[in-house]
Amino acid sequence: MKVNPGDGGLMDDKEIRKLEEISREMRYVITDMICKAGSGHIGGALSLVDILTVLYYSVMNVRPQDPKWEDRDRFVLSKGHSGPVLYATLAYKGYFPKEWLATMNKNGTNLPSHVDQLKTPGVDQTAGSLGQGFSCAAGLALSAKISGKKHFVYAIVGDGESQEGQIWETAMFAGHNKLENLIAFTDLNRMQIDGTLEEINNLEPVADKWRAFGWEVFETDGHDFSELSKTIEKAKASKGKPKMIVAHTVKAKGNTCVEGQVGSHNIKIGNDADYKKYIDGVDHEGLKLPY
Amino acid sequence: MAALHESELRAVYTDTLIELMKANDKIVCIEADLGRATGTFPKVHDAFPDRFIDVGVAEANMIGVGAGLANDGKIPFCASFTPFATRRAYDQVTISVAYSNNNVKIVGTSPGISATMNGGTHMCMQDLAIMRVMPNMEVYSPADAYEVRAIVKYMASVKKPMYMQLIREKCAQIFDENVTFDPKKAKILKEGTDVTIVATGLSTQFAFKALPLLAEKGISADLLHYPSIKPFDAATLVASAKKTKTVVVVDNASVIGGLGGAVCEVLSEQYPVKVKRLGAQDRFGEVGTLDYLAETIGISPAQIVDACVAAKNAK
Repeated sequence: MKVNPGDGGLMDDKEIRKLEEISREMRYVITDMICKAGSGHIGGALSLVDILTVLYYSVMNVRPQDPKWEDRDRFVLSKGHSGPVLYATLAYKGYFPKEWLATMNKNGTNLPSHVDQLKTPGVDQTAGSLGQGFSCAAGLALSAKISGKKHFVYAIVGDGESQEGQIWETAMFAGHNKLENLIAFTDLNRMQIDGTLEEINNLEPVADKWRAFGWEVFETDGHDFSELSKTIEKAKASKGKPKMIVAHTVKAKGNTCVEGQVGSHNIKIGNDADYKKYIDGVDHEGLKLPY
Repeated sequence: MAALHESELRAVYTDTLIELMKANDKIVCIEADLGRATGTFPKVHDAFPDRFIDVGVAEANMIGVGAGLANDGKIPFCASFTPFATRRAYDQVTISVAYSNNNVKIVGTSPGISATMNGGTHMCMQDLAIMRVMPNMEVYSPADAYEVRAIVKYMASVKKPMYMQLIREKCAQIFDENVTFDPKKAKILKEGTDVTIVATGLSTQFAFKALPLLAEKGISADLLHYPSIKPFDAATLVASAKKTKTVVVVDNASVIGGLGGAVCEVLSEQYPVKVKRLGAQDRFGEVGTLDYLAETIGISPAQIVDACVAAKNAK
């Protein structure tokens, strides 16, 4: 992992180690949560762990005890099926009891597979039907602009999700309206359900597309804290355009059982052998489950 | 000052919105390149440039942006022609608005046959049906200028996802400035004993015009106007059906699933009587004048009278 303390990076070794530990624990808890639920979208959750860790632990201005604080930075997980990674992050930040994590997808749950603003404290916008949350994020950004508020709106879109036309309606709208308080990420793990994006419906050149729609585009390794942190700070400082951070990620990063596999989109855990297989795939030395 | 019913209904919508926006800075007006058609552009834009947003020809985004604004405490009114505000962006309305319970007000202009010269591609016969079946969504259809004003004011004051049909043109006066709007209450425009006529929005205009013709034929009709299709005032319908024992529903829409559907659902559960549904018989629209189209789908005043005569005779 790259660490260059002399190059003006905003993170020192100590901070990076801290974030690495958080991410390690997140990957373990997410894997276990999905196993306890019996199935889940592990690939697209694990590819986002490091981005969410950086956002919630060193970037976003939020108050876990006051999830609707009106001056908070907003966060929209437009690829709503990655619920598990947002839930694990929110729970450990104190938005709701960690015990809830064992209830994902159970009858009557507060933690459904796809994020729901009516069920979970800390979820700003319901998402699940792809392409839609992103428009709502633009609406949130516009609302802040109308009211003269200074908070940011962070949004995450999937690369498969970027095949939805509505994403580009929003891209055009945000670019035209210069929504500079909107900072989006593309989780470029290069895989969707039926195959790789390259096989099914190629999205490249990604960065060029967003630039063409009037966005300021950055690219980063989606698993390098130092690079992520520097890139986000640059994005925050840049004015006059909405920002797209194209994050190069690996689907199911950190679980050796399914890392980099198309099949990691959604897994089923049928028996104890499956459970052991997936848990063994993730580093959990010295870690304890919170439930 | 001209009486309100001398104005186009879209002008009444626009003026009411401006009045409300003056008093409440949370109200935002959103268009998808049909601001001129709705009547809000340039008037609302000139009055409140920061709170008039034209997203361009992108209805899915319009609904999502509206949802985001509502999520942040604003009160967005999102307008487009009925097919595009409902059918085209149906999943967006369903998930980003209704399922999320975001306080978005959706306005569908030129409902049903009132799309006239825009023809079949713009003539949505389905919006009442598809919006009615959406949980958390209320569905309204004002019959004249005064009711537009009352309903728009209501929409701005109550926190719920809502859909309103908006006829763009001038309409005959049915109410006056004292009209109120309670979504739980239908309005009895005429009392009678031979037959119950049920109508909403534009179809109420046609039914209203049928009243003198009915009188000529010696038919005494209860005319029930439903400014709200959901919630639906079952009690008024059932009381009328108990009295007349026969019902004629007039839909500026398909006979499947719209007002006719709502009427049949309630009566079959609570007080089964014969129901004749007038409206588009599972067909698309076409280009035509209002009168031609009304005739084509069987909701002209004369055809309403014929249906009432037949219903009475069959009792």
